[in-house]
Amino acid sequence: MFDWKLVLEVIGMIIYATFMGFIFMGIERKVMARIQRRVGPPIYQPIIDTLKLLGKKESVSHGLIYDFGPVFALGASIAALLFIPLGNFQLFSANADLIVVAYLLEVPMLGTMLGAMSSGNPYSALGVQRGLLTMVAMQLPYGLALIALVQHWGTFKLSDIVALQQAHGWSITVPALFLAMIVFDIVFQAMLGLEPFDIASAPAEISMGPMVEYGGKHAALLFTQHAVQLFAETAFFAVLFLGGASNLLELLIKQLAVLFIAIFVASIYPRFTIDQAAKFFWKWPTILGIIAVLLTM
Amino acid sequence: MINELLIILFAPLVAGVLAWALDIKGIREAIGIIGAALPLAMLAKLYSQVLDEAINYSITISGFTLQFQLNSMSWYFAAIASLVGLAMAFGMASTSKSSYEWLFALMSYTGVLGVFLSQDFVGFFLFWELMTFASFMMVLKRNRHESLKYFVLSVIGAYAMLIAIGMLYAKTGALDFASIRQALYIDAALGTITTRETAIIFALFLTAFGVKAGAFPLHVWVPGAYSETDQSYTAFFSGALSKAGAYGFLLLYILMGYKLYATLGTFHNHLVFAYIIAWIGALTVVIASFLAVLQEDIRKLFAYSSVGQVGYILLAIGTGTALGFSGALFHVLSHAVFKGLFWLVTAAIILQTGKTQFKDMGGLAEKMPFTFAMSLIAVLSLAGIPPMAGFASKWLIYEAAIQAHMPLVAGAIFLGSALAFAYVVRFLYAVWFGQRPSDLEDVKEAPLPLLIGMAILAIPNVLFGVAPGIVTDYINKMLGGEIVGGNYYKLVTPTGTYNALLVTVALVLGLAIAGLIYIYGAKVRKIPVTNTYQSGNPVTEEFNLSIRKNFYRPLAEALAFWLRHSFDRFYERVAGMAEDFADWLREGFYNGNVQSYSWYLAIVLLILALWGVL
Repeated sequence: MFDWKLVLEVIGMIIYATFMGFIFMGIERKVMARIQRRVGPPIYQPIIDTLKLLGKKESVSHGLIYDFGPVFALGASIAALLFIPLGNFQLFSANADLIVVAYLLEVPMLGTMLGAMSSGNPYSALGVQRGLLTMVAMQLPYGLALIALVQHWGTFKLSDIVALQQAHGWSITVPALFLAMIVFDIVFQAMLGLEPFDIASAPAEISMGPMVEYGGKHAALLFTQHAVQLFAETAFFAVLFLGGASNLLELLIKQLAVLFIAIFVASIYPRFTIDQAAKFFWKWPTILGIIAVLLTM
Repeated sequence: MINELLIILFAPLVAGVLAWALDIKGIREAIGIIGAALPLAMLAKLYSQVLDEAINYSITISGFTLQFQLNSMSWYFAAIASLVGLAMAFGMASTSKSSYEWLFALMSYTGVLGVFLSQDFVGFFLFWELMTFASFMMVLKRNRHESLKYFVLSVIGAYAMLIAIGMLYAKTGALDFASIRQALYIDAALGTITTRETAIIFALFLTAFGVKAGAFPLHVWVPGAYSETDQSYTAFFSGALSKAGAYGFLLLYILMGYKLYATLGTFHNHLVFAYIIAWIGALTVVIASFLAVLQEDIRKLFAYSSVGQVGYILLAIGTGTALGFSGALFHVLSHAVFKGLFWLVTAAIILQTGKTQFKDMGGLAEKMPFTFAMSLIAVLSLAGIPPMAGFASKWLIYEAAIQAHMPLVAGAIFLGSALAFAYVVRFLYAVWFGQRPSDLEDVKEAPLPLLIGMAILAIPNVLFGVAPGIVTDYINKMLGGEIVGGNYYKLVTPTGTYNALLVTVALVLGLAIAGLIYIYGAKVRKIPVTNTYQSGNPVTEEFNLSIRKNFYRPLAEALAFWLRHSFDRFYERVAGMAEDFADWLREGFYNGNVQSYSWYLAIVLLILALWGVL
């Protein structure tokens, strides 16, 4: 029988996540501005921006893949979102585990890059190169953090990890997993594309990298994708290390905590160059990750 | 009545010989394709029979009995090989004009099938050598140096295997797998074969199979050999022939697993011998993937990528758990289909453009749309994007490695996957996107047979991606137990779950939402690739704005220290030293002086006299 309740939940959650994602983006800009002693834009500014972009009369396109890229990226972000247990909404999370979600969260990047590459702009190409190298650099510590987590809890299922944390205390109360959390948090800056790892977009060097050619509705799609992705990734963090949540409000508070830490780190550090980032990731986070992994064996 | 197994085994070889002998354009290709299709058809027919009981056949030639058996495992490997073989034949119909290539390509096809079907070491070794010889001849045609490198390493592997077989025969007195297995099983308790001998046999087999699988540090022949043949044949070379190495490792488990466990023991709850295989696999994954990222030649990139992907299979075999075997066997299939597809795409690109370097290509997506679509499927599958076959198998390997408590090995998979992502995107960018060099303006779509070959390999990528349960179900039957549960669309392991169909549905749903926003958005005006943002500097057409060379230069800089060391260069240096030494010997002795020759004769006679021969 068709599960109407689930369908409504899915639709509701997509709308909620998109909205909150935009608000997160607004918070990011506002907090960053306040740290730099500016007033900053209103918190709903990203929504206005996106609506404006959607309202443009004409967009330019470099071909089919250029159009497909942003569509694929947004689609994949939405798909990833549906497999994360969000508070009391389990959605599809019983059908996919940690590895699947970790992969699904990387798929949108491929979409963005496909579009960027087909634009033929050299800044886009540089952005693609830098984005992929950042990913190569961060993947080892990221993997080690996830392995430590799985070894400690003994399961890949996200809903089980949440349940276990609610029974035995949050992941970060375990010393080894606290190390893993530190590693994951460093990687998290790169996942969100924030300083010191905003190497792929680097507005002052390569004019937003992959996004440089996009305007109009394509850019609106990419903004929306960023919003959904931001929501999904902060929720992923909260689920893995902060004990998940029993309702959306609790989840929101945890997501905001994660977001604020990311913003604070971002606003005090300058940008790494790509080889510095690679060397950094393969040194301290990897060492910490290996310690965490060995402690949980 | 002719036995089915004989048809499966020798149809390609007979077709190859006929194609070579007749050598008439059109008929040659038709015979080749029929010969390549026959084994697949026969295997499909025998599918239901194999699951009930194994089919046996034996030939007796001058005292030696060659036993062949089609059991559930050899069916699986043979079916994969013949699927890739059929695609190869279609590809070669477009790319190969030479009857020589048809002969040896189909000969190596028979060799591979023989390796999978043999049930004793005599047949195994004979077909192994047939396969090596035929593939060597394929490389020899294009490049002598690379073929010699392949030859030398293969010979080392072959001798290693021969010595190991000899030692086993001396100890157990048997050559067929069943008796050896039983003898070693009993010997594990008795211990007549010492630890040292067991370790030597293991190391010898490791060398023999490692060479064929391209395991680090024996991988050095791979980039050269894979590049320097007809690329359609490389689809088979990399897709099926390298699997003979992986099959060898499985055989090692079946025949010697218990004995090796009993003699070599365990290390932190891991079987020592399996742990060695796992680490060889992990090193292969990381090193080959890093090298693949830095390649400037499309063939070299995929050659290193093949090495890396076979590393995944070894790694999964090395976990030593049932789940690991499932992952390894599934990855054998998915690597065969996606890498075979990649090589056929490469064949199409090289056939239509005549270029192999990334710096000479670009913007081909508009010119070869179907080939581009096929390469996109292969890219998604290799990069492990759900729902593709490549993801399902990689997912199993992840779960197996982490569950087996091999965290650092599992870390290598994470790193390898990111690197795979990086090199396939590089391939996409350099070949399909960006500005098109002016000499590629009149490139056409690949010819029909090649496209059929690609389609044959593309369909399994999607089919087994959305319904991975078909494969795991068969693997369960093969390994005799419910290792990966679930149904056709859903994989369930004790600690994890992956519902491929639901992921597909969610992805389609997401795409539909995004697509609606796109469709109801503003209308689109198409502009050329060169009309882009240039920070206010107008750029004319003749500027090249695509980064085709040294795409990952920062990575090369970050790795500068490690890149100074290379096993390839080390071997080349050893070879050079051996050559110099031989030269020195020759110049020292054959100096053209009759007097010194008479001295040699005198000395030899003296030695023989002292030895008591004369």
